[in-house]
Amino acid sequence: MKVEDEIIRKRQRERARIMAWLLGGFVVLLFFITIAKTGMNW
Amino acid sequence: MPTLELTNPAALPADWRDFVALTKPRVMSLVVFTGLCGLLVAPVQLPPVLGFTAILCIALAAGACGALNQWYEVEVDGKMQRTAKRPLPAGRMERQSALHFGVGLGGFSVLLMGLAANWLAATLLAVSILFYVIVYTVWLKPRTAQNIVIGGAAGAFPPLIGWVAATGHVATLPLLLFAIIFLWTPPHFWALSLFVRSDYAAAGIPMLPVVAGVQSTRRHILLYSLPMAAAAVAPWVLGLTGPIYGACAALLSFVFLVLAARVATNRATEPSAMDAEKHLFAYSVFYLFALFTVLVADRFLPW
Repeated sequence: MKVEDEIIRKRQRERARIMAWLLGGFVVLLFFITIAKTGMNW
Repeated sequence: MPTLELTNPAALPADWRDFVALTKPRVMSLVVFTGLCGLLVAPVQLPPVLGFTAILCIALAAGACGALNQWYEVEVDGKMQRTAKRPLPAGRMERQSALHFGVGLGGFSVLLMGLAANWLAATLLAVSILFYVIVYTVWLKPRTAQNIVIGGAAGAFPPLIGWVAATGHVATLPLLLFAIIFLWTPPHFWALSLFVRSDYAAAGIPMLPVVAGVQSTRRHILLYSLPMAAAAVAPWVLGLTGPIYGACAALLSFVFLVLAARVATNRATEPSAMDAEKHLFAYSVFYLFALFTVLVADRFLPW
């Protein structure tokens, strides 16, 4: 049971880390999209 | 990492690598490439970040299609050797997780495309996802041997979407690129289905070799390769590309037709003796990559 818990925690940590990176990347992407759009005078 | 075998792996939160596997990354590479080519040959140059975002959206939409396809076909995948190790049939992921992931990814890709590029491109992206999932996966694939003929339209959208993301409108050249992939899909998949037909038969999918037989499929491959070759050279004939593209398209298509003719005259019934089919399948992937590479080169290089 203890080993199962350990595996679950490890997976949750890995998924949380990936999600954090993806969200961070999305924020950066949105920033550059905004800069590009305002520069295009749309 | 502990190597304990768990009694119920699906009770674990799925590994992030399994979510990546759901998106069928290898299929996605061709989709991304053709979408990128559609964007690059457009007469309007998008700012790099918007071009990158448009291609990212096409990739995410393709991933959503892969996830939703695997969510719907979990039982069929479990019966086929080729697909039995995927996350859902192998029991490494809850089915509901794949559905949520696919719908979320698809919705996100459409919204982002609309915000970053334009809403016509976003609409085409939404149509391509719905076409692949509802028309191809749910409706045609389990019902008719013509599934890949009509369903192939879903995979033909990316260059059109790439073009529309850049220009905001549809034109003749991207429609021809759509036609090339649409007509390329049946010979490509039928060549594959010939040497894995026992898998399709076991899963009850009415692919052409299962329903109409091996020889009929071989004739169909040659028959569909002819209009595909015509569509491939059409951009040059109509003056939409330069002579380099025309010459390369003619040469690449000629080799395709020769390989298709070899398949049509092959009489082997055992997959181990289907070298002609395997060669055509491998060449068909190279063909599409090469054709679109030349298209982009023809647009940019000062020949």
